[in-house]
Amino acid sequence: MLAQLREVTKRYVKTEGVRDLTLDIDEGRVMGVLGLNGSGKTTMLKLMAGLLFPTKGEITVLGGPPRANRAKLVYLGETDALYAWMTPHDGERFMAGLYKDFQPERYHELLDFLDVPRRKTKAMSRGERGRLRLAMALSRDVKLYLLDEPLAGIDLISRERILKSLVREWRTGATIVLSTHEVAEAEGLFERVVFLKEGRVALDTKAEALREEGKSVVSTFREVLG
Amino acid sequence: MDAGPIYVQIGQNVRRLMAREDLRPGDKLPSARELAQTLGVNPNTVVHAYSRLEFEGIIETRRGLGTFIRLDAPVRTMKKEILRKAAQRYATEARALDVSQEEAISMLKEVLDAGTAS
Repeated sequence: MLAQLREVTKRYVKTEGVRDLTLDIDEGRVMGVLGLNGSGKTTMLKLMAGLLFPTKGEITVLGGPPRANRAKLVYLGETDALYAWMTPHDGERFMAGLYKDFQPERYHELLDFLDVPRRKTKAMSRGERGRLRLAMALSRDVKLYLLDEPLAGIDLISRERILKSLVREWRTGATIVLSTHEVAEAEGLFERVVFLKEGRVALDTKAEALREEGKSVVSTFREVLG
Repeated sequence: MDAGPIYVQIGQNVRRLMAREDLRPGDKLPSARELAQTLGVNPNTVVHAYSRLEFEGIIETRRGLGTFIRLDAPVRTMKKEILRKAAQRYATEARALDVSQEEAISMLKEVLDAGTAS
C-alpha cells in the first residue's frame, strides 16, 4: 500500500475541504481524482503531500506521515509560481540543488518532448509554463506523483503533449494521482477514478469496469456529479 | 474514445489489422509502452490487451525481443469471424426492413459486383 487515508476531514474556517475521506492507494497505478470546483480535489492532494494537516483522521503516505516523506514525493500544485527570470536551464540548477532524486537527463528529454522554449518564463505562454513545470516535476524519481490540474487552462496541443509525456514517463511501480476536469482527454490514462462531491467520495471505481457497463468516465462524471 | 473497455478495443484492432493482412504472422507489434503513448492510454491497459491476445494464441512474447504475431495465428478463422459479424449486422438490417432472403442476397451480390467493377 502506497498511501492510506482514514476518515480524513479537513475543515477550513468556514467550509469543509474534505469529509470522512477513506481511501487506499496502491503502488503502480494511475488514479484520477475527478470533481467540480470546490469538491475537495486540491485539499485531498495537499493533505497527501503534507502541505495541509487534517482536522480529523489519519494519513499515511509511503509508510509514514506525509510531512516526514515530503522529499520522497512530487506535488505539482495548481498555481503557476515560477520565477519570472527563470529559464529551463535555471530550472535545472534549481531542481538539482533541491532534490537528490532529480534526473538531469530525463529533464532534458522532457524539455525536448514537451517542446519547452529555452527562454525566461515571463516570455512564455501559459501552456509553455505548464509544460516546463511538468518537466521539472516528472524529472524527479519518486514513487508518488501528486499532480493537481496539470491540464487546466492549457491549450489543446499542450494538453495532448502532457498526457503523452505522462504515459512515457510513467514507470512501473510509480503511482500518479492526477486531478482534472479535462475528463475526456485523460480518460484513457486512468485505471481507477475517484469522484469527489462536496468533499466526499461519490464513486470509486475502475475505469475499465465503467466501460464494461457501456459507460465512460465522461458519462459517469455527468451522471455522478452533474 | 469509443464505447467498451479499452483493452477489448485494442484486441479488436489487432484482429482487424491481421484479418486485412496489414499485420502478418511474424510481424512485430509496438511495445506496450509505445502503443500506450500513441493512443494516450495507460500502459497497463495495453499489457492487459496483449496478455489476452497471447492467451488466445494470437501473439507471443519473445524474451528481450518484443511481441510478435504468432506464425500459426488463425488468420483465416479471424477473417471469417469478422465477416460473420458484418453479415449478422446486414441480416439484422434486412430483417428489420422485412425484405425477403432472396432480395437481401441479390442486393449483397449487386453491391459486391459493383465493388469489383469500380
